[in-house]
Amino acid sequence: MPVGIRKIVSANRRICCVLALILVSGLLVPTLLSGADDKVHITYWEKWSGFEADAMRRTVEQFNRSQNKVVVEFLSLSSVDRKALIATAGGDPPDVVGLWAYNVYSFADRDALQPLDDFIRAEPTPSGGQASTPEQWLARYEPVYADMCTYRGRVWAGLSTPSMTALHWNKAMFRAAGLDPERPPRTLAELDAFAEKLTKRDPKTGEVVQLGFLPQEPNWFAWAYPLWFGGQLLDGDKITIGTDPHNLQCYQWVESYTRKYGLDQVRAFSSGFGNFASPQNAFLSGKVAMEFQGVYMNNFIRQFRPGMEYGVTAWPTAAPGLDDFTVADTDLLAIPRGAKHPREAWEFIKFISSANLNAQREDELSGMELVCYLQGKNSPLRQWSPFFEQHHPHPYIGVFRQLARSPHAVHLPKMGIWQEYRRETDTMFDAVRLLAESPEQALAFCQRRISESWSWHRKSLERRSSDIANRPLTRALQTTAVPGLSLMGRGNPDELTPNGKPNVPLTNAPLPLGERVRVRGHEIIAKSP
Amino acid sequence: MSPKSKLARLIVYALLFGGAAIFLFPFLWLVATSLKPAEQTMSLPPTWLPRAYYATIDGKRMEVTRDYPAPDRPGYWHITEKPAPKTLAGKPTSAIVSAAEIETKIQPRWDNYHTALATMGGRRPTSAEGAVGVDAQVTFFTFLRNTLLVCVLGVIGAVFSNALIAYSFAKIRWRGRDTMFVLTLATMMVPFPVLMVPLYGVFKWLGWIGSLRPLWVPAFFGSAFNIFLMRQFFRTIPEELSEAARIDGCSEWGIFWRIILPLSKPVIAVVALFHFLWAWNDFLGPLLYLTRRHTFTLALALQDYQSQGGGVQWHYLMAATVVVIIPIVVLFFLTQKTFIKGIATTGIKG
Amino acid sequence: MTSREKHNLRHGLAFCSLWFVGFGVFTIYPVLASLYYSFCDYSVLQQPLWIGIDNYRRMSTDVVFWISLKNTLVFAALSLPAGMIVSLSLALLLNTEVRGMPIFRTIFYLPSVVPIVASALLWLWIFNGQFGILNWALRPILGLFGATPPTWFADPAWAKPALALMSVWGIGNSMVIYLSGLQNVPQELYEAAEIDGANWWRRIWHVTLPLTSPVIYFNLIMGIIGTLQTFTTVFVMTGNADGNPARSTLLYALYLFSTAFYDLRMGYASAMAWILFVLIVALTLLATKLMEKRIHYGG
Repeated sequence: MPVGIRKIVSANRRICCVLALILVSGLLVPTLLSGADDKVHITYWEKWSGFEADAMRRTVEQFNRSQNKVVVEFLSLSSVDRKALIATAGGDPPDVVGLWAYNVYSFADRDALQPLDDFIRAEPTPSGGQASTPEQWLARYEPVYADMCTYRGRVWAGLSTPSMTALHWNKAMFRAAGLDPERPPRTLAELDAFAEKLTKRDPKTGEVVQLGFLPQEPNWFAWAYPLWFGGQLLDGDKITIGTDPHNLQCYQWVESYTRKYGLDQVRAFSSGFGNFASPQNAFLSGKVAMEFQGVYMNNFIRQFRPGMEYGVTAWPTAAPGLDDFTVADTDLLAIPRGAKHPREAWEFIKFISSANLNAQREDELSGMELVCYLQGKNSPLRQWSPFFEQHHPHPYIGVFRQLARSPHAVHLPKMGIWQEYRRETDTMFDAVRLLAESPEQALAFCQRRISESWSWHRKSLERRSSDIANRPLTRALQTTAVPGLSLMGRGNPDELTPNGKPNVPLTNAPLPLGERVRVRGHEIIAKSP
Repeated sequence: MSPKSKLARLIVYALLFGGAAIFLFPFLWLVATSLKPAEQTMSLPPTWLPRAYYATIDGKRMEVTRDYPAPDRPGYWHITEKPAPKTLAGKPTSAIVSAAEIETKIQPRWDNYHTALATMGGRRPTSAEGAVGVDAQVTFFTFLRNTLLVCVLGVIGAVFSNALIAYSFAKIRWRGRDTMFVLTLATMMVPFPVLMVPLYGVFKWLGWIGSLRPLWVPAFFGSAFNIFLMRQFFRTIPEELSEAARIDGCSEWGIFWRIILPLSKPVIAVVALFHFLWAWNDFLGPLLYLTRRHTFTLALALQDYQSQGGGVQWHYLMAATVVVIIPIVVLFFLTQKTFIKGIATTGIKG
Repeated sequence: MTSREKHNLRHGLAFCSLWFVGFGVFTIYPVLASLYYSFCDYSVLQQPLWIGIDNYRRMSTDVVFWISLKNTLVFAALSLPAGMIVSLSLALLLNTEVRGMPIFRTIFYLPSVVPIVASALLWLWIFNGQFGILNWALRPILGLFGATPPTWFADPAWAKPALALMSVWGIGNSMVIYLSGLQNVPQELYEAAEIDGANWWRRIWHVTLPLTSPVIYFNLIMGIIGTLQTFTTVFVMTGNADGNPARSTLLYALYLFSTAFYDLRMGYASAMAWILFVLIVALTLLATKLMEKRIHYGG
């Protein structure tokens, strides 16, 4: 080869070596290391932002200061459930994750969370005994909230913050319409009648300029409307959305509102509703006089329409005997499978699940009460400290506490396909209120679809349990550092808790150590890991 | 084509300005929103210019927000003091004043840009507000650095690998080459959802989930679209040049490096630019593969301008968007001639 | 094989080696794996379990699947032609020699680089039924005919046209490719046509279009592949991945995503992904067959 080209080729070779070096070093770039002290650092992923995240951040700091073994690193993420899903599937999940309730049930179905039963059993009882039972531990919460923590016979999560809904009404608008501002509607008939009085139209064009009530504003609780009418979404393990006659009544009522005011009118009027978190919120700007909302609504009233005169009360009775109906919900803290520090995660969950019940001043608030106080929500604990009770920022927090104790407080059905069920009911609600389908059609369609999904889901779970029986139980026996052995298998699919009724059947007792046990054809020795 | 008559010129200009106005309009709205204070971003009916209202409450003159017309007094507005207190405990002062008493000024909020960048990715503006651990150190510059890393490494990989591969398809006659090329083109038709989860599995097996590697390493292994572009271009380079070099005793690599590549500057520019533009705004990849905030890219960090109630802080989101796209706009503006000519010379003619 | 052929094979494979890795690891393996998953019950969180063609059987009776497929095809039928006509027209316009062309080209390219998160929400605002700027402009015009503008995304019948309009805004990339194709049309042909007495429209029809037909074909194929996979815009606009109102904007990729990540049925989603692949290939072959006669490959 001519000298020139040889030189260039060797120069090129040098360039290639450099490029290869960049590539290799890029591959070897080390990731950030965590803290270098000897405390255990655990990660906590949460869905909130803004002041709600701040509230939890402060509580996390309180926990970090209260002991010197565990440091919680708080991370606020959007779509935390999807990120947690991907991280858990990838084997690198956070230690604590703040999920929505329905996530917990569907993750638990797929063996993606660690149950808390063994941690609870290692705790002392309130009276100073040795091992708590889950019932004893859950007794700290109001029943409707305690029920949401359990699923298929196990406790899967602790509460982070709860919420409770009530009928909010605009007292000033009541007064202007000639209604007694201190008397909200108590029955469905009254609700409709009051709504009629509170509806105003433009005398010239006939367009709606104010509505007393609109079922779609907000549509966050539309899934619960059938329950409000006394219907059922899930009965045992049967889907009843299309078969329960109360559900049909409910959707006929929804349809009636659009028919009353005219589809185009309602559509035009509602497209002028502003964002929820803005002064143009339909309720805040006086476009709608009554709506169902949660305990957090007060925060937005204070921010966007301070001084607004409003009241809260239970949902008006829509079915005979179903008084003081309300919808409860909560966010949960769970420990994903594969978390590196489940013990320490439990310590944090324990902290958030308790409070200083003697607090007389704001700086004495702790744990659950601190978070709920800062977020303006009710505390799910049965007992409240004096300061929380008397100085809570929400003027009507007492009403919400009463509602939490109502025997007719419901929560979402605990099933692994709730997200899909919810989407179907929301679509059905839209179709009915837009008069695109008749209630019968919509309900029949929803019934068919969800029944199919439900039987598919159950078949899928059965398939897995029989598959586990044919494989070495290596995965099922992967335990955390917990005394006693518990089998992290699937529960009996027929052990479903009917929705809305507090029922905490817990059947797993720890196996006696050292014994030989036959489990599904395999012999294992229960021993502490 | 060059319009000859004055009328033709006029029509062309009219169409250009008209079209530009339509295309520019949403972008102008984006910029306008980025300069508004929070409560004016989503006002109905929409307004273009950011305003500031001043009034006197309790004898003190202050900036206020104009909330809503007072229900029982026409011509009067309910106003509230601004800035709103940060904690729940304080109650902002409010009053009802007549419209005449409110002074309105046009005031663009340029500090939105600063705050948007400071709080990007959900970060707290100052650690005094309670940032813990790694969270506090992640700033706009972290996201920028990650994005640049991914883009630049990706560009190097894309140019390097695709040039090599396209050379083999264009300039070397080997058995099975044409079948392989058709297969290569077929991969362009594979929709991303087909690849999504198994690719995630591959990266999980490699242990790369949570790092930036899944975003730039695949660029070093070729991509059908770029192979196609470069191969088309190489085919326009006369075979005689390579033949002459071969006779001179040059190796295949030498021909590639010394002859073909220097002549390929246009298509290299195109591949580099296309990849850079795509990687800069790529959102699905980072969404799937990145878990720790300090590894996020700009596109992903834009997701996190959330505020209470699950709403979006529009003004910050738009401000950050403007900052994120300015580099690309500038890049495109400066390189468009090369860009367009480069694609032209590949002769996308099959 | 002759020694020349052996030499070529060795070098060909050597230069192509990176692609073999890329093709094998990043394309073939995922394609085959997702084919396997499509026959499995797989929830991402647990190992896949073989169930045969159950996923496909379920798909055939899944009403929402067919709705999403129909929505996607309708959307493609609206946005593809609109996009291609607009981007070609714009490219023709931007190919003229007037002052300030780089600025105009940048302006028309600009929308395609705006992150979709921002632009999707921006357009939701513009399309607002009561207060959006679009309706504010349309109301007086339609008022002359006694009609009112539609409520766009609040109306199931108008949601897809609104989406299609949105997609036209982001055609920067295909416009640039058309521009390059136009630059390859030799000036002499235009001059010859002018001499023959052709006006601007006939010049376009008889010179420009045939000579840029390869580019048109390329953009059509890329358009088919891209439009059928539209995801991010609808995802950002409908929030809970439902294609509301009343599932009118439930596009195929959106349904796939929610099945995979919300309902945790990745096996079913993989089956859907494969059906999409088959559909794309089929449409591409169809388009190729239809355009075969009209593509002129120049020298």
